[in-house]
Amino acid sequence: MSATRRATIAIVDDDASVRVSLRRLCEVFGLSATAYASGRELLESLDGEASRTDCLLLDAHMPEMNGLELQRHLVMRGVHIPTIICTAGDAPAASAHGAATDVVEYLRKPVSAADLLAAIERALRGREPSP
Amino acid sequence: MATEREQTPSGAHAVMPPLARGLLLFVPIALVGNQIGSVLRYPDIGAAVLFPPYAALTAALVVSRRRYWIWYVLAGSLAHLVTHWPHWPLSWVLLADVANIARALTAATLLCWLFGGPPRLDSIRALSLFVVSAVVAAPAVGATIGAANVVLHGAAETYWHPWSAWFVSNALSGLTMLPAFLFAFAYATGWYRFRIERRRAVEASLLTVALGATCAVAFLAGSYWRYPALTLYAPLPVLIWAAVRFGSGGASLALTTVAFAAIWSVDRGTGPFLTVAPDDKVFALQAFALLTTAPVLCLAALATAYRGVVQLYRALLASQQDHVAILDANGVVLEVNDSWRRYAETSDAELFHRVRAGDPYLAACRSAAEHGDATAAGVLAGVTSVLGRARKRFEIEYDQDRDGRREAYTMSVEALERPGGGAVVTRSDVTARRQAQMEIEEQRRELSHLARVAVLGQLSGAIAHEINQPLTAILSNAEAARKLLERQPIDLELLDEIMRDIAADDQRAADVIQRLRALLRRGDRQLQAIDGGELVGEVLALAHTELITRHVSATAVVEPALPSFVGDRVQLQQVLLNLVLNGCEAMSAAAASDRRLVLTAGADAAGNVCFAVRDCGTGIPPELIERLFEPFVTTKPDGLGLGLSISQTIVAAHGGRLWAENNAAGGATLHCLLPSRRTSQPTALPVLAAASGR
Repeated sequence: MSATRRATIAIVDDDASVRVSLRRLCEVFGLSATAYASGRELLESLDGEASRTDCLLLDAHMPEMNGLELQRHLVMRGVHIPTIICTAGDAPAASAHGAATDVVEYLRKPVSAADLLAAIERALRGREPSP
Repeated sequence: MATEREQTPSGAHAVMPPLARGLLLFVPIALVGNQIGSVLRYPDIGAAVLFPPYAALTAALVVSRRRYWIWYVLAGSLAHLVTHWPHWPLSWVLLADVANIARALTAATLLCWLFGGPPRLDSIRALSLFVVSAVVAAPAVGATIGAANVVLHGAAETYWHPWSAWFVSNALSGLTMLPAFLFAFAYATGWYRFRIERRRAVEASLLTVALGATCAVAFLAGSYWRYPALTLYAPLPVLIWAAVRFGSGGASLALTTVAFAAIWSVDRGTGPFLTVAPDDKVFALQAFALLTTAPVLCLAALATAYRGVVQLYRALLASQQDHVAILDANGVVLEVNDSWRRYAETSDAELFHRVRAGDPYLAACRSAAEHGDATAAGVLAGVTSVLGRARKRFEIEYDQDRDGRREAYTMSVEALERPGGGAVVTRSDVTARRQAQMEIEEQRRELSHLARVAVLGQLSGAIAHEINQPLTAILSNAEAARKLLERQPIDLELLDEIMRDIAADDQRAADVIQRLRALLRRGDRQLQAIDGGELVGEVLALAHTELITRHVSATAVVEPALPSFVGDRVQLQQVLLNLVLNGCEAMSAAAASDRRLVLTAGADAAGNVCFAVRDCGTGIPPELIERLFEPFVTTKPDGLGLGLSISQTIVAAHGGRLWAENNAAGGATLHCLLPSRRTSQPTALPVLAAASGR
């Protein structure tokens, strides 16, 4: 983890209370977090400051564009950010784990702070340039 | 037993005597009959006052098989020959015999054709047919031949005189004696089949004695009395007795006895006919026989018909499984059937349920009603209104405890359409029927419940998601709060915000569970006023996550100021949810952007509420569109075909209608119409009605 700046997590969830609570949790644990209600919102904001996002936390179930679809959009645009997908239902089918995506973790809701932070840490470690 | 059975044309089984027994009976009667026929005749022309051989031969033929007829005809001819030859010339005897045979054959053939066997003189119509064939047609045939015989032998100058004499003689024989002979033949050749009650036998014996005594008065004592003609009426009461109690057979036997007593008295030179001029004696006797026989036989036919009606009525009453009591206009029990009687004897029901013939039913009801019996009060009001002609029919249902078991009865009171008034009370035990109905309702409720469980099974992923969302927020908030508490100073403002959010999410999870519990509820129908817009909102909330998962964009279009309607909220949610999920399924092959579902709620001119679920799927195959709501009809590869069938049952129980149509632009629309509060009476519908609501 970079010592000079706090890691920035982008949270995308259509459910407002989940969105707010996850952002709150990240912030309390010393991370910088932004929250978006849909994939479209994220894509719009990323246009300007893509490089400042270190990790994506995406909801698997969203109208219009779900987490995996959003991830594919990013890959198509050439944006590669380590991604954690949160699912509140059943785990996504194995075929959904595309090699071409940057999905590093699947977490099942409800997720504990320890699990979430550990996953974020693993995702961020993957982002650091290899020695 | 040598008796043979044969199907008669009328379909009834008639027992036909074997030839030997029939001849054994017939030959002596024929011999004696010919002798009696000789007792009193018109001088010169051979016509008797009454001619028993005609009645005897006709009766023998009618009760026998047709292939035996030739033997009876031969035996009759022989008896005729033996009696009259050589007193009369052979040619005369033979020709007269031809007339006799032709007459009897005519009568027997006509009677067999008209009655399909021995005639039953139990109505004026039957009596008329009998008279036309055996009293008019056959004697006319005989007279035509007999009179020719007389004229051929030079015994009469005109044809008309002997014709009329032969005709009247045989017509009277047919009328007076033939019913008696038919009765006698049937009885004598099948005596072992008759079971005569002791009472009937005693009555018949008394009648015989009375007949003998009155005949003695009429034909013996009459000559010593001042008004001999009046004594002729002496046998009349006995004849009426015979007609009323023993039918045409008994009446005919009595009439024959009286006729022969009269002939015998003239022959002996006694009785009321003594004063008649010798040339008119035969005519007087015939007139007497005709004037006595005709009304008595009519009376016998009417009495038989009456007895038939009474027997039919009793048989009908006895055949009723239901308990039946007949009341007169004053509410007194005239009669009860066996079922009612058995119930009255074995049941421990209230007294007014157990009245018997002769008991005052209304008074019994009134007495029970005064002691607070609600059923009795209802029955009293109903019976009073029916007896008073205020209404034609009244029905009441009530329960009755019997041997610790609850029995259900319906009682109907129907006005008797007759001048004397009265009513028929019919009580039916409907316990089994009600039990079966309750079981059907229970099964329907169970099926409907299982269908809801199945729908929720389909939604299980979505449900898990909907509960996990607030749980996720709660957990994140709680852990954030714990972390906050480790810092100094504690950010109380943020902590307060977190606590509020936790409470709100907890409530949200509880709401989801509450909705599910309502749908999973297994219970009776609960009717309430429902707002169509709210119902649409609830259904979309239930389907929310499933719609997202399936990439279906759902729109609700609710008409403003929608009238409310009465129904079971959970069952109607089930119906609409089913339609929504079917719509989603129908669009699974479409591109995600084309998966649009529109749920509308509107009202028609009559104020009925119409829901419609419109999808953009593949539509319904035309051959299935009419049968879509039948059980096990489905358009889905893995569907059971029960959802729409159950939905249909639910909507029908609400007095509504469910139907499907394909959209012009593709996809299908399922419509559900529910009657408004003004027009609907869902509680009156039996289907899915609450069993305990009774």
